[in-house]
Amino acid sequence: MDIFALLMWPIKWVIEAILVGFHWIVTALGGDPGSGLTWVLSIVGLVLVIRSAMIPLTVRQIVSSRKSLEIQPEIQRIQKKYRGKKDQFSREAMQRETMEAYRKAGTNPFASCLPLLIQMPIFLGLVQVLTDANNQKAGVGLLTQDLAVLFSESTLFGVVPLHMTMAAGFETGSIPVIVTAILLTLIMCATQFYTQLQIMTKNQTPAMKESPMYKQQRILLYIIPVFLLISAWLFPLGTMFYWLVSNVYTLVQQLIIISKLPTPGSEAALAREARMARKRQRMGLPPVDAEEAESAAEVELRTQRQQPRGKKPKSKREGS
Amino acid sequence: MSQGLKRLGLLPRNICVAILVAYRAVISPLYGDVCRYYPSCSAYALQAIQQHGVVRGIWLGARRILRCHPWAAGGVDDIPEPRERLATNRAGFVLAHKEQ
Repeated sequence: MDIFALLMWPIKWVIEAILVGFHWIVTALGGDPGSGLTWVLSIVGLVLVIRSAMIPLTVRQIVSSRKSLEIQPEIQRIQKKYRGKKDQFSREAMQRETMEAYRKAGTNPFASCLPLLIQMPIFLGLVQVLTDANNQKAGVGLLTQDLAVLFSESTLFGVVPLHMTMAAGFETGSIPVIVTAILLTLIMCATQFYTQLQIMTKNQTPAMKESPMYKQQRILLYIIPVFLLISAWLFPLGTMFYWLVSNVYTLVQQLIIISKLPTPGSEAALAREARMARKRQRMGLPPVDAEEAESAAEVELRTQRQQPRGKKPKSKREGS
Repeated sequence: MSQGLKRLGLLPRNICVAILVAYRAVISPLYGDVCRYYPSCSAYALQAIQQHGVVRGIWLGARRILRCHPWAAGGVDDIPEPRERLATNRAGFVLAHKEQ
């Protein structure tokens, strides 16, 4: 347990420094230091800092997933080899060959486990920091006793203490707390659901949609709200705000990725090509820029390469 | 009798297996495929604990997770081959006899 506390110490220190920093800024801009809104804004600031620090990871992943486009013919060859074989051993062999092909080409379309894992201790650290502050205990660093007292006594709009959980709301019969917690849960469900739906319907290749993982993902889409309700029950409203803002951040980031850097071969990528083609046409440029479109055309045999005025009749173009 | 003792000895790793299986069924699919390796980090940790026990399994799994970052090449990365493989049932629990 002590080792655990030692490991969490630097994380908590940084979280406190960022929170206190934003609290100072918001107060300097005229916010009431004891108001819940000031603390919520500090939490928003914390999310922005942490998620922005992770942008390089995201960009790195997108770049390497674009690069993996180059070996798409090889991947397709492997997929063809195992087409229709749904048993466990064939799937395993296929995944092995696919991964090995990516490694040989020096690219990899997967984000790795780090970006996900890195967020868990951060969230845990925030829960600990807020819990300590709530108990009017000084933090490990810049969050002094005075600030902790300030936090524990802060309320949103004068009626919703940030440190309360939904469970505590029911215990004390505080309607504003219950309503806020439910509202937060609903917004979180909506953003999470929408993000997931966007990724699944738009930013996945047909091959990904065939994998058993995809079906599991679909089912889970409907279980997420239950998870969120449980966490709203257990965690203080302050951490809920962190989660919520983080979700919104993910949503916006995902929408940008889907429109600007979609997964090669996905529906979003086709939509983007179509958009680019239309744009070029409007500007009076030749229909496609050679290199990129060529490799894209190789991947999806019939993409939006030449859009509207093909010489062949429509039925023939779609036929083969 | 000795079979029962063996099973008891496998209890710690089977508890870990249960946790990992639950994670893989419920939480892991939320993120989709993210791992740069085959088998994925959680599958690797699962196999490592099944075949090498709790302590060595967690150690191997932790090292694997540290290897799984955006600058890693990825590819196929299996657990170190144990001296003898123990059999597992379909749910993933380790049985008290060797793999056939």
